[in-house]
Amino acid sequence: MTEKLDKHILENGMVLLGEPMEGVASVAFGFILPAGAALLPEGCCGAGAVVSDWIFRGAGDKSSKELGDALDGLGLHRAGSVGSSHITVGAALEAGNLAQALDLYADIILKPSLKEDQFELARQLAVDGVLSLDDEPRQKVMLKLRERFYPSPLGRSPAGEIAELKALTAENAKQIIKDNFNLSQTIFTVAGKYDFDTVCQQIEKLFETKQQKTIESVTLGSKAGKYTHIDNDGAQVHIGLMTETVKPTDEDYYNARVAVSVLSGGMSARLFTKVREERGLCYAIGARYHCLKDAAGIMCYAGTTPDKAQETLDVIIQQFDKLGDEISEEEIQRAKVGLESSLILSSESSSSRAGAIASDYYILGRVRSLDEIKNKIEATSVDSVLGFLRSNKFKDYTVVTIGPKQVTVE
Amino acid sequence: MEFKKEQLANGLDLIGEVNKSAKSAAVGFFVKTGSRDESEQINGVSHFLEHMLFKGTEKLSALEVNEAFDRTGAQFNAGTSEENTVFYAAVLPEYLVEVTGLWIELMRPALRDDDFNIEKNVIKEEIAMYKDMPSFDVMDQCRSLHFDGHPCGNSILGSETSIDNLAAEQMRDYFARRYAPNNMVLACAGNFDWDQICSLAANSCSKWRQQTVERKLEHFGGSKKKKRIEKSNLAREHICLMSSGVSARDPRRFAASLLGVIVGDDVGSRFFWELVDKALAEAATMQFGAMDGTGTFCSYIRCSVDNVTKVLDTISSIFQSLSKNGITEDELRKAKNKVLSALVIKNELPMGRLGDLGSNWIYLQQYRTVEDDISSVKAVTIDDVNSLIEQFKPGDFTQLSIGPAQDREQKTEDR
Repeated sequence: MTEKLDKHILENGMVLLGEPMEGVASVAFGFILPAGAALLPEGCCGAGAVVSDWIFRGAGDKSSKELGDALDGLGLHRAGSVGSSHITVGAALEAGNLAQALDLYADIILKPSLKEDQFELARQLAVDGVLSLDDEPRQKVMLKLRERFYPSPLGRSPAGEIAELKALTAENAKQIIKDNFNLSQTIFTVAGKYDFDTVCQQIEKLFETKQQKTIESVTLGSKAGKYTHIDNDGAQVHIGLMTETVKPTDEDYYNARVAVSVLSGGMSARLFTKVREERGLCYAIGARYHCLKDAAGIMCYAGTTPDKAQETLDVIIQQFDKLGDEISEEEIQRAKVGLESSLILSSESSSSRAGAIASDYYILGRVRSLDEIKNKIEATSVDSVLGFLRSNKFKDYTVVTIGPKQVTVE
Repeated sequence: MEFKKEQLANGLDLIGEVNKSAKSAAVGFFVKTGSRDESEQINGVSHFLEHMLFKGTEKLSALEVNEAFDRTGAQFNAGTSEENTVFYAAVLPEYLVEVTGLWIELMRPALRDDDFNIEKNVIKEEIAMYKDMPSFDVMDQCRSLHFDGHPCGNSILGSETSIDNLAAEQMRDYFARRYAPNNMVLACAGNFDWDQICSLAANSCSKWRQQTVERKLEHFGGSKKKKRIEKSNLAREHICLMSSGVSARDPRRFAASLLGVIVGDDVGSRFFWELVDKALAEAATMQFGAMDGTGTFCSYIRCSVDNVTKVLDTISSIFQSLSKNGITEDELRKAKNKVLSALVIKNELPMGRLGDLGSNWIYLQQYRTVEDDISSVKAVTIDDVNSLIEQFKPGDFTQLSIGPAQDREQKTEDR
């Protein structure tokens, strides 16, 4: 694995990163803007969802329709998201159309039209998005879980809160774009088939500005609480559970990743075996590592019919608690092979690589090579993982349930 | 890229597309069986059987199967549709033979009573899970309403009752009839050694016995019925519209896909500009789905209960304008660009390539390169799309909505 990393920093501080890939005809790119839910002013929960829609409703000299048509004309597949720390706007497309796409995205980020009537439509769609979550309890439970688990404001819902969305004005939203589309803290990534010199020249021409004032980092508040239940007369109780673990900057990070993989990496992992295979309690059951820059946790979901909800939760917590007691050599081997294999399989996709290098750079300040990750996974052992688990015992489970029946959390 | 094929004496097709520069390889068994091949008494058996194949063989327990997969680091799963059951895995090249060997073993499962009884609970949990996903539920129920007795309307999951009543013996019988080598394809894509896969399959699968396998193919125009279901815990109206289209063997399927994109891609389509951009609906998409002997255009719309009338009126005028004026040159150009780039991106991954490779073989018994598909998309003309609109009348649809209970006054007004 000898992948190459391209890097260039503009005078204003905007970071350009690229990973060229052989044998592909596509390219994926993303602008990672410091406008995530946790960085927005109090009382604007959901503004990110509105803003990331509004900026596409006309930009530069193009109306909303003209802009949409121009993007579609390039056969581009939009990929955008609003997270805790960033709004990401980007796309995947055939490599030949990259330059034209970047011109359009420069307009979208730097010169959005921001018409008042279009704001109302974007806001309405954001409100609708929140209302729709009531019909998707599985998604909603995980959003609520993040909200409850992470210290405020890190877990703030990117979808928003109805009351705050209704109170949001076009002026507020414009101010957010002005303050938070801060190029000095923006990361641009590209992966796939491209020429880095050409891309740099184009981005420099489009995005070079004066250094902008750094956005202040957030002050962390408290965690919201241990157990929350939301009543819903659905068919299942949707259980979300999260507990703290080490961040990617921690020296035990790879031990934590291997431990989560033993718990829930594949179909022979503990949770799937104990909850689904042996007891038939659930169809959907799984846990994964989840991190922000300033906090990390192991996030678990299970959906089950009401009469089995308590037993499901109890078995899950038992499996978390028992993980540090004993792990076999074979379990560690399977966990390692699974992690390494998914690393390499995802490296074939330009979109995954563009996302992975952005997240590495934001969280670690550098991009890890696939070899480095592989070697660090390889270096873990039964002893190192057990040692980590024993000195970092799981405690303080945050639990959220949505469904017709509550559970008891010890 | 190099295409390879072989057929064993018992009718099992082996196909592969070798790409030595890929970092991974993918393998799949495509079995031509699904819910449309079930009778009412055994509804849900294809999907249940898909789960049971992971429960092991005479030699392997369920846990040993899962461990064996995880030892290869495979990303693997299976899926059941109305007409196919597909088992697949993506791995690093050095593991392909091992994971293929494992799939081959699993294609002759033990189907033990104990495993069957435990897995019944998992299936019922899966049914319950989808009940809590109205966007899925509405499409599932609309399909039944649209096909109205035709086997393509059979539920994939089955119902709680049909699963409760299903006996292990009925599953064993269904397995014996449907998992015949002449009803299956073993496909590989990416970086792998064809000769190794071939000799592995020849050694292990040749003893599988050929069967007479049938499927009734009748085109069905659709019931065009309209129905609304109330569910007190819902907040939004979920609407599914379904009309008929060309089959998977019909060369017009490329034009039909483009029509789906023009009308209902998630951005830039007619639905998008008229419904989503104007915030009348939060989601509005239409897709063409090709099947054996028939096909469907299927739309999903989610909106507030207050907007339902306006949304349906808008949809009606979109389809009226399509049938009166047809599509434009510009719409067709944009749709082609979107479809072509999606095709390129998907086929860059061996796992993505496997899907197209297998389904082209299942439906057409034909190898098509990515370039063949690109040429077919490029060759579609405005007239091709417009004559589909004329023939299939997508505005003349079956409609099923699931939404919150409306109060009595509201109901009276509706009448």
